[in-house]
Amino acid sequence: MNALLQVLLDGLLTGASYSLMAAGLALILGVVKIVNLSHGAFFTLGAYVAYVLHQRGVENPAAAVLLAAAVAFAFGVFLGKSFINPVRSHPFSVAVGTLGAALLFEQVAQLAWGPHPLSIDGGRALVLLPGVTVRAWGLISLAASAALLGGLSLLLSSRFGLPLKLIAEDEEVAGSVGMDVAKIRYLTFGAASAVAAVAGVLLAPTGAITPTMGRVPLILSLIVVIASGMERIWTIFLLGVGLGLFSNLCAYLLGPEWSYILLLAAISVLMILRPEGLVAILPARDYR
Amino acid sequence: MFPGGRTTGALGAASGILLLLPLLGLDPFLLDVLTVGFLLAVFAGSWDLVGGVAGQISLGHALFFGSATYACAILTSLYRWPFPAAAAVALLFSGAVGAAAGALASRLRGPFVALFTLALGELAHEVALGQAFFSPKEGYSWGGEGGIPVSLPWVEASPWAGYYAALLFLVLSAFAMLRIARSRQGLLWTAIAGSELNAQASGVDVVRHKRRAFLASALFAGAAGVGFAAHVGRATAADFSIELSFQAATCAAIGGRGTVAGPVLAALLLHALFQGAGLPPATRVLLYAAALLATLRFFPRGVAGTLRERARSRKMVS
Repeated sequence: MNALLQVLLDGLLTGASYSLMAAGLALILGVVKIVNLSHGAFFTLGAYVAYVLHQRGVENPAAAVLLAAAVAFAFGVFLGKSFINPVRSHPFSVAVGTLGAALLFEQVAQLAWGPHPLSIDGGRALVLLPGVTVRAWGLISLAASAALLGGLSLLLSSRFGLPLKLIAEDEEVAGSVGMDVAKIRYLTFGAASAVAAVAGVLLAPTGAITPTMGRVPLILSLIVVIASGMERIWTIFLLGVGLGLFSNLCAYLLGPEWSYILLLAAISVLMILRPEGLVAILPARDYR
Repeated sequence: MFPGGRTTGALGAASGILLLLPLLGLDPFLLDVLTVGFLLAVFAGSWDLVGGVAGQISLGHALFFGSATYACAILTSLYRWPFPAAAAVALLFSGAVGAAAGALASRLRGPFVALFTLALGELAHEVALGQAFFSPKEGYSWGGEGGIPVSLPWVEASPWAGYYAALLFLVLSAFAMLRIARSRQGLLWTAIAGSELNAQASGVDVVRHKRRAFLASALFAGAAGVGFAAHVGRATAADFSIELSFQAATCAAIGGRGTVAGPVLAALLLHALFQGAGLPPATRVLLYAAALLATLRFFPRGVAGTLRERARSRKMVS
């Protein structure tokens, strides 16, 4: 019974960070208007940054979060400016190119750190009930995710979020009132990638760090974004936590590989059931 | 013999050279590399039928390849079927998988086709990784990373026989795929790839033709899978891997989507280059990904297509 409680608690803590990542993906979908398959690679990047810092003896999560965010922002801006922006009107180039970028990163990570799972220590365990513990890092990840999501939601409703909303709504109007749409696009891509890397840092102690670890959160956040759209941050949060609980439960009840299998099944079923609902989250345009 | 056009002529010349290569004393390693290259070239061509000609971005194309290799392996090793019967059933099975995937994916559009096929392929890969099979005689388990052996009617096939069989298979398949791409059906697919709305407005049953594209493509991919199972003698989870699907899409992007001949040649050349140089798999995937990103960025219509277009526009300016 307590083991189940532990699983549920862990699911809640990890789900919060997953929803952070999903919010980043939703931002890209809204402003850049692409389905970004390289989002999971930035998550992996964050986890490896946390690992490297941990190896060097830096135990402070804030340092890892800041460094990972900076590195991922730089890579994200580079990818957004040099690749995504020029090709974003070709769905083929976007889909295969972002997947290619993710695979490229996976191979680089494998060459740099090896294919074997690595792990870092999540801090001292705090015993809540016999058999139910929570680690310092888990609480930090919950607090940081909630704070970042709240900040994002505030930002979007403030004056600074207006350009993003306008571009999401109608980019031609945004361009005609003097906004640098291309620049806002790659900056958004960089910021969303940084958010994914932060989620990777926050979840680094919860599981094995491997080059392909970003695939599960990518599929999970795609489900969140497809199911919730990108308007309401709090729906994203609830769905992210729900799916985090779901995937932790699957891993506990059926075995670790099953959470990925069932998430893949879930996204397939979701797309089969709502084929026309998907068009609404991308601008109405005839896809090639 | 070949229907007009320079591409088919070039293909004929290339196959003539490949016909003579073993006689020039190629060592068995390179012969093997080229044999696998022929099969992967068919696979890339089959990707292009659905992904290029019909414009349905499939990122789970390895699903059809792996269905065929696994069907071959399971039927021959577990059920003791003779290989030819297993091969025929495997081909039908991958066609059925293609029809099912097509029926589901044909209602989706654009990036969601890519997402859906990606999910299907990964699903098959994970199931293949996790599934264990018990071999009836020896009592140890098969499956997972190591895969399942295919029991073949020959013990040690001559590398020459494999080479020429694969070359013949490539020439016949490439010929058939080009014929399909240039037929009336191919024209309908091209119309759908150009603009689904326009095709629909012109009275084309878009969903039905998209389904057919998946079916035809899966049959060729499955044939390549059967050939691969016969050549390698083992079906592994890597046959379903996203890297394999990605490799086909990459070759299509580099060779020029929708031309069939381009992807086939690009797959053969890149595979011969990377594998012939003895690169480890991780480096190969890395190079494919880097080549893809460079191509998409600088040669959006494929290397040959973009260069031709530039030459043409230069001619018009001067």
